Amino acid sequence: MPRISELKDINFDGIENPYIPPENLKISKKLSLHKEFDTNVDPVTYEVIRHNLWQINEEHGSTIQRLSGSPVAMYALDLNPSILTEEAEFVYFGPYMQYMSGVTDTQIKWTMEYRSENPGINEGDMFIANDPWVGAAHQQDVMLLCPIFYEGKLFCWIANCLHQYDIGGITPGSFCPSAESVFDEGLMLPPLKIIENYEVRRDIEAVYLRSSRKPNLVALDFRAQIAGNTTARDRIKELLDRYGPSVVKGVMRKIIDNSEKSYLAKMDSLPDGEWIDRTYIEACRPGDRRTHRVVIGLRKEGNHLTFYNDGSAAQEGAMNATYSGWRGSIMVALNELLCWDQYFAVGGALRHITFDPTPGTLNCANYPASVSTAPIQSMEISLYPAYNVLSKMIYPNPNLRKDIMCIGGTSQWPATLFRGIDQWGEQYGYLLIDPIGGAIGAFSSADGINTGGQSRTPICQLPNVEHTEQNFPILFLYRKELTDSGGAGKFRGGLSAESCFIPNNTALITQDTLSSGNAIPTSSGLMGGYPSTTNAYKFMTDSDVKKHLTESDMPDDFSQLSGKTVELQLRQENFEQKPDDVYAVRWSGGGGFGDPLQRDPKKVLEDVDNFAVSQSAAFDIYGVVLDETGQLNTVETESLRQSRRDKRIDRTRKITRKGTLIVDISESLQICSDSEGSFFACSNCGMDIASTEKNYKEQCVQEKRTFNEVNPLIGQPEIFIDDSVEYRSFCCPGCGALFDNEIALSSEPILWDIKPALVKYSS
Amino acid sequence: MATTSGFLCGLDIGGTFTDCVLIDSSGKITISKSSSTPEDFSIGVVNAISGAAKKLDLSLEVLLGSIDGLIHGTTVGTNAIIQRKGAKVGLITTKGHNDVIHIMRGSRGLSAQDIKLIVHIPESTKPDPIVPKKLIRGVSERVDCMGKTVVKLNTDETYNSIEELFSLGCESIAICCLWSFLNPSHEKKIKEMVTLANPHAFVTCSSELVPKWGEYERTTAVALNAYIGPTTVGYINRLNRKLKELGYKKPLQISQCAGGTISVAKANDAPLLTLDSGPVSGVTGSVRLGTELDTANIITTDLGGTSFDVGVIHGLNPTVSYKSLVRQYEYFLPKVDVQTLGTGGGSKIKVDGITKRLSVGPDSAGASPGPVCYDKGGKEPTLTDADLVLGYLSEDNFAGGSIRLNREKSVESIRRLAKQLKMDEYEFAGGVTTIAEFQMADLIRKVTVQKGLDPRDFVVFAFGGAGPVHMGVTARELGIKKVYIPFGDAAAVWCAFGAASADISHVNEKVKITSSPFDKDDLNNTIEELEEKGNSQLEEDFVPNTSRIFGNSIDMRHKGQINEVEISLEEGHLTKESIETLHSKFTEKYEQLYGKGSSLPGSQLEIVTFRSRAAAVTQKPKLIKQPITDKPLAKDVLRDTRNIYWVEQEKIVPTPIFDGYRFRTGNVLDGPCVVETDTTSIVVHPDQLIRMDDVGNFIIEN
Repeated sequence: MPRISELKDINFDGIENPYIPPENLKISKKLSLHKEFDTNVDPVTYEVIRHNLWQINEEHGSTIQRLSGSPVAMYALDLNPSILTEEAEFVYFGPYMQYMSGVTDTQIKWTMEYRSENPGINEGDMFIANDPWVGAAHQQDVMLLCPIFYEGKLFCWIANCLHQYDIGGITPGSFCPSAESVFDEGLMLPPLKIIENYEVRRDIEAVYLRSSRKPNLVALDFRAQIAGNTTARDRIKELLDRYGPSVVKGVMRKIIDNSEKSYLAKMDSLPDGEWIDRTYIEACRPGDRRTHRVVIGLRKEGNHLTFYNDGSAAQEGAMNATYSGWRGSIMVALNELLCWDQYFAVGGALRHITFDPTPGTLNCANYPASVSTAPIQSMEISLYPAYNVLSKMIYPNPNLRKDIMCIGGTSQWPATLFRGIDQWGEQYGYLLIDPIGGAIGAFSSADGINTGGQSRTPICQLPNVEHTEQNFPILFLYRKELTDSGGAGKFRGGLSAESCFIPNNTALITQDTLSSGNAIPTSSGLMGGYPSTTNAYKFMTDSDVKKHLTESDMPDDFSQLSGKTVELQLRQENFEQKPDDVYAVRWSGGGGFGDPLQRDPKKVLEDVDNFAVSQSAAFDIYGVVLDETGQLNTVETESLRQSRRDKRIDRTRKITRKGTLIVDISESLQICSDSEGSFFACSNCGMDIASTEKNYKEQCVQEKRTFNEVNPLIGQPEIFIDDSVEYRSFCCPGCGALFDNEIALSSEPILWDIKPALVKYSS
Repeated sequence: MATTSGFLCGLDIGGTFTDCVLIDSSGKITISKSSSTPEDFSIGVVNAISGAAKKLDLSLEVLLGSIDGLIHGTTVGTNAIIQRKGAKVGLITTKGHNDVIHIMRGSRGLSAQDIKLIVHIPESTKPDPIVPKKLIRGVSERVDCMGKTVVKLNTDETYNSIEELFSLGCESIAICCLWSFLNPSHEKKIKEMVTLANPHAFVTCSSELVPKWGEYERTTAVALNAYIGPTTVGYINRLNRKLKELGYKKPLQISQCAGGTISVAKANDAPLLTLDSGPVSGVTGSVRLGTELDTANIITTDLGGTSFDVGVIHGLNPTVSYKSLVRQYEYFLPKVDVQTLGTGGGSKIKVDGITKRLSVGPDSAGASPGPVCYDKGGKEPTLTDADLVLGYLSEDNFAGGSIRLNREKSVESIRRLAKQLKMDEYEFAGGVTTIAEFQMADLIRKVTVQKGLDPRDFVVFAFGGAGPVHMGVTARELGIKKVYIPFGDAAAVWCAFGAASADISHVNEKVKITSSPFDKDDLNNTIEELEEKGNSQLEEDFVPNTSRIFGNSIDMRHKGQINEVEISLEEGHLTKESIETLHSKFTEKYEQLYGKGSSLPGSQLEIVTFRSRAAAVTQKPKLIKQPITDKPLAKDVLRDTRNIYWVEQEKIVPTPIFDGYRFRTGNVLDGPCVVETDTTSIVVHPDQLIRMDDVGNFIIEN
């Protein structure tokens, strides 16, 4: 299938095809833009106004936070404010839900192209929008766009996006796991003028609220969004009055230019090449037992980056995302790995980045595919491999290397959608927020962070058990961090957790599951690191839980209960949980970084003491020997580790090439060159592995292992999928160092993940 | 000879000095300072009181015998946390929920304020655990959201857990069970069992300390309470004994973070209440001063070397928060809201190599090595270096001359950076101070606006060595007309003065989630229950009936919403009429906080927390007012003339430097000038003036 760049004569107008803004926006003459700016703002004025703009955006976000009604939005902090120039280049994007970044600028650009003539864009207007083909992650993410005018000219834009509790569709909460198209899902609004000349259009508001099961909450949230924009608009106008528009605009431009400069300097320090990662979504609709491949490619040519998704599966069922959702996911990784030092001012970097996916694929779906699950399925599965390709790209620069982050916890969200009548006699429908507890993946020089949240939402709030129990008729038996849930590695991924509950003060809870990453781990490790646990649902009917409770014997693990075990599928619909039925959900943890055999044994001992790693995993995975009293046996540990490495050595291979080091490309892999050209070599023993023209993995010692061997918490994939999957490790034939691992369908070839193009390094 | 009765005594322990302030019934202030004695702080305290006795020509015994109220702010608990030298704590909790304080609540305890750690995840970590997993025991027991016991407490498990924790060497035990604020019976039983097993161990349970909704913040509160418990309690009891032996007859009162004082007995149960009480006393002192000055709206600022603390007083009431943060741990506790923002004299100045962006902070050179001019190895210039380059500070009168500053080194380090921006060192340093001053204005604006307040309705009180250097501009930027620099004896020992001004106070809270329509009697019963509790606490403090006052409030929200708004009940209780106005009161307060139209008319409301503050009005220190005279300036008020670069004039101007101690009430001087005292330099810009008021404070007027 062709990429967007290869498609000619297609109108990317956000109707049938995704909206892709043209280089020059076609804007009605009725709308004049304020383009003048001071090119010479002094550094002090710059810093003063820059700080002010950051604070304004922050105040915008906190205003929404304080006003929003919906617990989903408030705990997950599923919102984000932003400031953009008159032509919708990002000045600042808030530190909340990062997904929303990729969708804000496209919404505004579309509005300028298609709404500037009729009904017109004027002072005091705001536009509501949630059309995923124009630019929204999914329909629940409702955006409010606010133009700011100065003396009749459009000066800049501010906008916010806030996830809504329910905007209709076949499933309460509007995540619709069995939808076959958008027609089964919530209300969809292309940008629509809802505030005109500072007045809310009551007719439009009524249309907006009418589809929701919880119109009151949506109405409160709408007020929060208006208040956020109003606050920010007033404050920006104060700045304009004080410093004049061309100075403020000069600062905005310079913020973007600075972010561009910083981006360019980083690019300049890195070799060119191409990096590819591959992962899978499981089940696209109820009953589906297939896997759906997701590929991300990153090509760096000089300062330019191109992202593509060649090889990703076709759109189908209810797992898809649109172009802007996919772009938004990648921008999360771009912000966090490349633009953090510019506080997420991603606009400058975007001048040098092309997003070139293939329409019709699961993460660039055409209208009218179902997209309501996008943020927890196709977008999530697109985001985290983006960390991997970017991490590999920045590895060669030791300063940037410290910014590497492995895939973190909840890399696919195992949704618990439950509904019924609560203990107070009222109807409810809810998405359990607990997986927001996530985990942070390992870094290149430190362990990840146990239940450190989801990296895509740097600020979030996990609800207390008492909050959830107050609002819903459930009783948590436990919520605990899980030993061994973090991916093993030289640096360990953060631990994830598991929540387990029974109904309380209700006769019945009706539930749906919606998940992926239960069969195949989605928090893969990096550069030799192992994957974290997979997601898991556990369900037991007619259990003896009541007997435990009556006997004052509180179970704190699912395994302590007896009853009828039911394997929940990944899109199980309308199953019933009665008072004796126990339900648990576990989310994936953080991936590990580097070869676990290289982990400092003292750290492994510390992990065992802190219940992060079990004694058996310490031995099996880390090769660490502890004696009966729990003390570290250094000598036996070293010999055990050596014996394991020995098994990976191919004694028939000898060093045949010695060259000069060009660049370290990965934890134990470097690129050297000699008279014949450049080649991959082991940084530990110097063994030449393969020419850089080839996939180095083909020339490694390959080990195939069961998932259970790399993470004891990973279950049996065959419960959920029919495809056969394998875990492949690629080791140095000379010394047994572990270069990397990959997870793949058995039918798939070895992934060619690193293709260096060392033009400017070869000198 | 001074009067020998009716003294009020405030005591405050700082890092270097222990301050003692004595105020007699006429308002005369006596101050004494003594070196702090970290090995046993009570030694320094007694030395400071002895020093004051000497000044008054009294024996220690006579002085102590004549003190009506001795109020002490202790930092022992805060130090234990900073130095990580707290007790070995064991935690007993509901089985299955052992990991509550390890899981935390997402975001690793960071908020938007810690922006660098938020945007750069590899830099952030979770804090070291207050209680490691090894020392946490879950016991079978369970209460549900209705307060109903679902699982009875398993006493065998509890017994074994207690034995294990003590055998592992735990010195104190924290207890927090789910829903204990609704039904505390299990926690109480566990506490009893702990005491039985070890009568000497410090033990604390959440339903007594913080009966609030949310197990994470409750657990951190008890864990912290247990962590600082043994040290704090030991210290307070030792001091109490010592003072009694030396002749002090009245009950010792301890400053608490909610802005009043508590008895020794209460501090023994809840040492957590003493945490951060120092900065809070500063706010209490400001309320006192505000009362004397007839100024009800005050923003208190304390700009030191490493931090910038901001408190807001509105209508002479300090704003209070009910959740606090220490080392990334959020915990429940009513506390005067003093927000620490990341700027200080030590904030580093940087010029980005690639973008050439000039920034001040958030990285800090700290106290060591400190600014370049300290000459202690600091290489990167800081805000203090910029102040020195501009001439705001004097090389040999910094901190009363105790630290000699090296201006040459500051100039050199700043010039290096200035060159990169093609600026000279003065223009550059002026830019740096402007950036810092404007950023502080942004932060103050945020703090006030978030409380629904307009900074222009306030005055600023500037404390801390660096405050008076910069607050004039910051206030001007905020549209604030007056900056008070409390001066005279009281200012030097502000927190001790604040401590001496504090009322005895107890804040009691109860969570009872109640939806509208409300039942008047039901609400009143809850309020009365809390008042009764406060009443008996005041009884224990020997407060006469007539001096007791109660202030009640409730936290309300839109049903289904998360954010709560505190509504005070002016009449104390609810009447048929006032219950009807609750909705409109809520709407009014809500819209004041969040803007017009933000509340949804007609929506159902919910009360979450009931609160009663029981206080005893105590004797207050009085300030002696001097009549404002038109006496001219003292002849020797002009100390020096120094070249100072003024940003407004973009040039160096020979500027008069005045001796703060030679000012008389009523004196007024135009800027530009600098007024120096032992602790600070007051920088008065060209368009400002400075005056001394009738109690001896300096005021910069914009």
